[in-house]
Amino acid sequence: MAKKLSRRILAKYVADQLVKKDGHALVLQQLAAYLIENKRTDEALLIVRDIEHELMNRGVVIARITSSHSLSDELQKSIADFTKKQTGAKTVVTELGVDKSVLGGFRLDLPGKQIDRTIANQLMTLRTKFKKV
Amino acid sequence: MDFLRYFAAETTSAEGDIFSALGIDWRLLILQIIAFIILVVLLGKFVYPWLMKSVDDRQAKIEEASKAAEAAKEAAEKNQVEVEKLLSRARKEAAEIVNTAKTESSEMLSTSEKKAKDTAEQIITNAHSQIEKDVEHARKQLHNDTIELIALATEKVVAKTHDNKADNKLITAALKEVQ
Repeated sequence: MAKKLSRRILAKYVADQLVKKDGHALVLQQLAAYLIENKRTDEALLIVRDIEHELMNRGVVIARITSSHSLSDELQKSIADFTKKQTGAKTVVTELGVDKSVLGGFRLDLPGKQIDRTIANQLMTLRTKFKKV
Repeated sequence: MDFLRYFAAETTSAEGDIFSALGIDWRLLILQIIAFIILVVLLGKFVYPWLMKSVDDRQAKIEEASKAAEAAKEAAEKNQVEVEKLLSRARKEAAEIVNTAKTESSEMLSTSEKKAKDTAEQIITNAHSQIEKDVEHARKQLHNDTIELIALATEKVVAKTHDNKADNKLITAALKEVQ
């Protein structure tokens, strides 16, 4: 039986393969097969997070943007530039998500960091900050 | 007695002197004198001393009784004085007791009044404090409810009025702000 690999080793391997920009689908298939074979599918989300960290260390940042409507390319580029400034990354990959409950503004999820400028968050701040106990 | 009358009659007829003229039989007179003397002697010998002794005893008893009565009177007077003193002292003590009782009752009344007043003030203070707490709690509740209401209303209004154009402006402004 093969030795159990740690999440960090897996993440480093996958990140290295992804940065090489060849065989993206292959390395992801390998990872999925490994997790299924070793019955570690419940660690998938944690491994993805570790991979994102490893990618950030290699200058590639996955930025998840959440807003109440689909953003224009210009705005997405502005957010990507902002992300580069914040993280010092060379490449920023944006993933746009639409969630009506945020009401307005945007939420930017980066590896280990979140910038929430949504109206829903501001209203929540209003509720918690100004409420008297 | 018949003998004496007979002897007197004989003597009177024989003498016939001045005593006869006066109707006095001197023999009878002498006999009566002798009898009287004997009587006096006998009385002096037997009756008078007893009588005097009895009188003296009686007098002594009377004097003794008088002295006893006098002593009793003095004792009664003395007792009366003592009784008056005791009564006076008793009245004084009673008056002191009454005064003390009055003072103590007055002090107790005063203490009770003060205690009742303090208790009432404490109750009022507590009530004021409780009212202030309730008012403060109500203010906080109103404040929080107002904030919640504002947040809910803002959510409703923003959900209906916030269009894409306004949202793009908001995102642009937010980016400038965080940079």
